[in-house]
Amino acid sequence: MALDKLVLEVLRSGGKKARYELKFRKGMTVLDALVEVRERQDPSLAYRHSCRMGICGSCGMNIQGIPRLACQTQVSSLGKDVVKVEPLHGMSVIKDLVVDIDPFLSMHTFVKPYLIREDLAERDGSDREYRVLSDEVARFLQFDYCIMCALCYSACPTVALDPDYLGPQAMAQAYRYMADPRDEGWDARINLLDRAHGVWRCHVAGSCSFVCPKDVDPAKAIQMARVEVLKKRVLRRTAKAGSPLVNPAPAGAAKQGTRAPPFDFKEGGRG
Amino acid sequence: MAKTSRFKSGLISSLIPFGFNVERWGYVIHRVTGVILIGYLAAHLFETFQLSMGPGAWANTMSALHSLGPLEMVGLWLVAGSALYHGANGIRLVLNEVFGILMGKPIMPVYPYSPTSLGRNQKLAVWTITAVVLVLWLWAGLYLLAGLGVI
Repeated sequence: MALDKLVLEVLRSGGKKARYELKFRKGMTVLDALVEVRERQDPSLAYRHSCRMGICGSCGMNIQGIPRLACQTQVSSLGKDVVKVEPLHGMSVIKDLVVDIDPFLSMHTFVKPYLIREDLAERDGSDREYRVLSDEVARFLQFDYCIMCALCYSACPTVALDPDYLGPQAMAQAYRYMADPRDEGWDARINLLDRAHGVWRCHVAGSCSFVCPKDVDPAKAIQMARVEVLKKRVLRRTAKAGSPLVNPAPAGAAKQGTRAPPFDFKEGGRG
Repeated sequence: MAKTSRFKSGLISSLIPFGFNVERWGYVIHRVTGVILIGYLAAHLFETFQLSMGPGAWANTMSALHSLGPLEMVGLWLVAGSALYHGANGIRLVLNEVFGILMGKPIMPVYPYSPTSLGRNQKLAVWTITAVVLVLWLWAGLYLLAGLGVI
């Protein structure tokens, strides 16, 4: 596609569509276009952004009908000279492209996204570290890459129907800690997932994984969490003790190859 | 901050799969066929209930149904397609949801990303189901046309 000019069509507060004409530059992202509009055409246009490189997760918005990070979306990849931008669906609009992410964040905190240990004095006072082996890291590392951009939450058809649904991000994070051998919060979290607005509401539309900019694959995490819930219900599984404290590895140990990387990057474990 | 309504949420929004993955289309079709089957179940219960009202009521119901002409067969064809798709896709969903089959294992994400839950095996299952259902649905249509004496 040979673009020299593009039209940015932004759905603004109050339901009005604003059209901005811009000169296209090679490598231009939708965020670049929005920045240019605000700096040169319309300083009242509101949107969130920060890092500009897909790390902070602030610039999530609906671009050509799909939730995407504006900073990671090349205008040329959209294949159109009119780029339609809307706020994330399923969330309340504060102004223009800025949405209220409080409901999303409250679901995240609800599932206790942190390591839970019975012995807090041991956790906070020891100069040693909890043991976690390479193959144990492989069980949860993928889900640890979440940048909380809320794209999955916006794409999920169940969230659109049920505002009390935990949502893909929160359940993926719950599973991330349940799979962590250092964690002792399995019992607490499994009851948060095993409810009407929890894992049972997911119908595997897979849109969460489709839009995730970091391949966290929440749809997979939710099904793995559901298997854990079934283990509790059918096999009466309960929590195990977390991994023990061990002395920290000597400095430079990883460089010397005493600790294997958790994955073979060539193989990637894909299947 | 004043509370405002959620932007583009609700039933219509959840049923729009354009631009999304093929599994999202499966989700939408599964929902729609489920509603068709519930509608058929209600109509079927009403129809068979007429038997308890005597032969006259039953004959009236049957003549009302037959008066629809080809529409009756089109309706039955839709029900057949709905039952086929809902059943076949339901088996895939049970494999996904209960056993975690076709979802893949946790991986180290490597760019360009390709989620394993929407990977080759899942796509193969979705398209196999679609192909088998379409063939059986076509066969059901021919069967219904033969019943009408058209072919």
